[in-house]
Amino acid sequence: MLDINALISPENKTPSALSEQNLTQINNQIANQLNTGILVLDAEYNIVMWNRFLQVHTDKVANNIIGQSIFIAFPEVPERWLSRKLDSVLQLNTPSFCSWQQRHHLFELPHTRPITTDSEFMAQNCTFLPIETDGIVKNICILIEDVTDVCHYQTQLQKTLDELATISRIDGLTQIYNRRHWQGSLEQEYAKAQRHDKRLSLIMLDLDYFKLLNDNYGHQCGDMVLIEVSALISSLLRVEDIFGRYGGEEFAIILPETELSGAMELAQRICSSIATKPLTYKDHKIKVTVSLGVAQLSAEESNYEMLITQSDSALYQAKAQGRNQVCCADFSTSKPID
Amino acid sequence: MNEFHLTEDQQDCLQELINIAMGQASDQLARYLNTFVYLKVPSIESVDAKNLMETLSQQKNTLAVISQGFFGYEGIRGEALLVYQEEDSGRIADLLGYEPDELSQDEQLIDISSILTTTFLNVFARQIDNQMSYNAPKLLPNVKDKLSEHLQQMPFSWDLALKVNINYQVTDYSFNCNMVLLIPETAIINIKNVLDRILAEF
Amino acid sequence: MSPSVLICDDSNMARKQVLRSLPEQWKDNVQTATNGAEALTILRNNEIEILFLDLTMPGIDGIGVLQGIKKLNITCNVFVISADIQPEMQAKVKALGAKEFIRKPVKQDVLFNNLQQHNLL
Repeated sequence: MLDINALISPENKTPSALSEQNLTQINNQIANQLNTGILVLDAEYNIVMWNRFLQVHTDKVANNIIGQSIFIAFPEVPERWLSRKLDSVLQLNTPSFCSWQQRHHLFELPHTRPITTDSEFMAQNCTFLPIETDGIVKNICILIEDVTDVCHYQTQLQKTLDELATISRIDGLTQIYNRRHWQGSLEQEYAKAQRHDKRLSLIMLDLDYFKLLNDNYGHQCGDMVLIEVSALISSLLRVEDIFGRYGGEEFAIILPETELSGAMELAQRICSSIATKPLTYKDHKIKVTVSLGVAQLSAEESNYEMLITQSDSALYQAKAQGRNQVCCADFSTSKPID
Repeated sequence: MNEFHLTEDQQDCLQELINIAMGQASDQLARYLNTFVYLKVPSIESVDAKNLMETLSQQKNTLAVISQGFFGYEGIRGEALLVYQEEDSGRIADLLGYEPDELSQDEQLIDISSILTTTFLNVFARQIDNQMSYNAPKLLPNVKDKLSEHLQQMPFSWDLALKVNINYQVTDYSFNCNMVLLIPETAIINIKNVLDRILAEF
Repeated sequence: MSPSVLICDDSNMARKQVLRSLPEQWKDNVQTATNGAEALTILRNNEIEILFLDLTMPGIDGIGVLQGIKKLNITCNVFVISADIQPEMQAKVKALGAKEFIRKPVKQDVLFNNLQQHNLL
């Protein structure tokens, strides 16, 4: 951080001490060649000094600015908030700061970068320094640093990180959750349901004769079916339901706060919606059906994997009974598969 | 290790300097905030790196950590961490006298932290004939998992931490936050010299 | 005649600081206490003319000592010396019978002025 006090401090006198006048000339030139805006205010927040950086980055005329209130010269600054900040500098004799991360900019200065950013204005880090003359704080120096580059790259980085986070959760083909994320969610929902004694149901479903579909029409057709079926199922779910691709043509739905009858009803609706949905691939009419297994969390399960096992065996039963149907895990008779 | 530890007299002297600094800072704050802010004279502990990690990780519901570097003459420098708990966050806007929609919660935390740190350290520095400059305060992202990471990635390796528990009482409520001053080896030796100088005056 | 003095502060340095600021001829007649309970015991068993009292101490604090002095009907000139300088605190200790409130760190000229105001110097 630039410390103006250090630059103009008389303690910095070298043995070959410069005259007061030379020192002032040097300080003035440094202030005017800095790539940082300097704005000095008096205790009434009128501008008493500004440097070249600000003069060239605004189209204001120097003569008009000096003596003007900062709130008139720069009407874009939030007056109440800034007054409060300036008050703290004067009263507490402490520096204050304002980062682009909280406020992109304070002063509307055009930026000089050929980069396209969200804002037409220069991103700024501002520092407010108390300036003591004769032992009393009478002035405030505002330093305005151009951080447009930092802001730009940081924003890009954050966007990329967000995209990566999304990609790591989403199945590329169907755009629903992948197995890893889905399973993590189940673990959380299981723990939540156990802790708060809430209901939780699970649907596992599998496309019928999917291998045949691939063999007859090719994998592109299979992919199209997976995409269409995923979209159709998604449209039937509530926001809080968690839908994921469990394996090749196997899908799974977590239904928080849902009891078995509700889950069965939804499974039936999915089953019949898919069976009646006409799909075409290269002029071929394609008939797709699914088999579904439903289970509800009971006192018997001691981990979330057991819930998967329950609905998986119900799904197996639906397949065995002729497909295109729903079966539910009858947990009074079914035994966990070792 | 032992050379960084303060003697009983040094510890006593430092505690007294911090008490005085906190007292004056709270008086200034009360005037600035234009309300009766009562700042209890804080308790101070010096802790080593390992202990600090343990104490900080024991704190539940840590909402935010604001960090701000400070540096003065004679090699006295370090980093101040202000650690806030979840339940105290909503009250800061009231304390600062801001309207709720004037600024984000992050900015409120950064503002109050900066005011606390700089007001306190300015008075402290004045007592030892020093003067402080400050870096811009930063909100540490995702503190829940990253605090230990941050403590390991400091621009200097710090050897002593002073943990100052600050408790504010404003007319109808109170809130707590911890100020942790992380101080590197060279600065500790300098602080010890300053303390010895003060003690020698008695 | 030097008055009997008690300095009560949990900080060794702060006690020394007060002691150092006292008039030279007083220094032989000074007792010290590191907390409020200790101070009250000394006050009960000795005639103390002047008490220099810190506010923030473990156990019985400065406020507790002031309340104790009132309750036990002890006559003593109390000067509070504290880092806790907010106006509300100053008003509070004066209401509890303290003669003056002196800011830490204590300075000799300030201490002398305060003593003179109460004709103790």
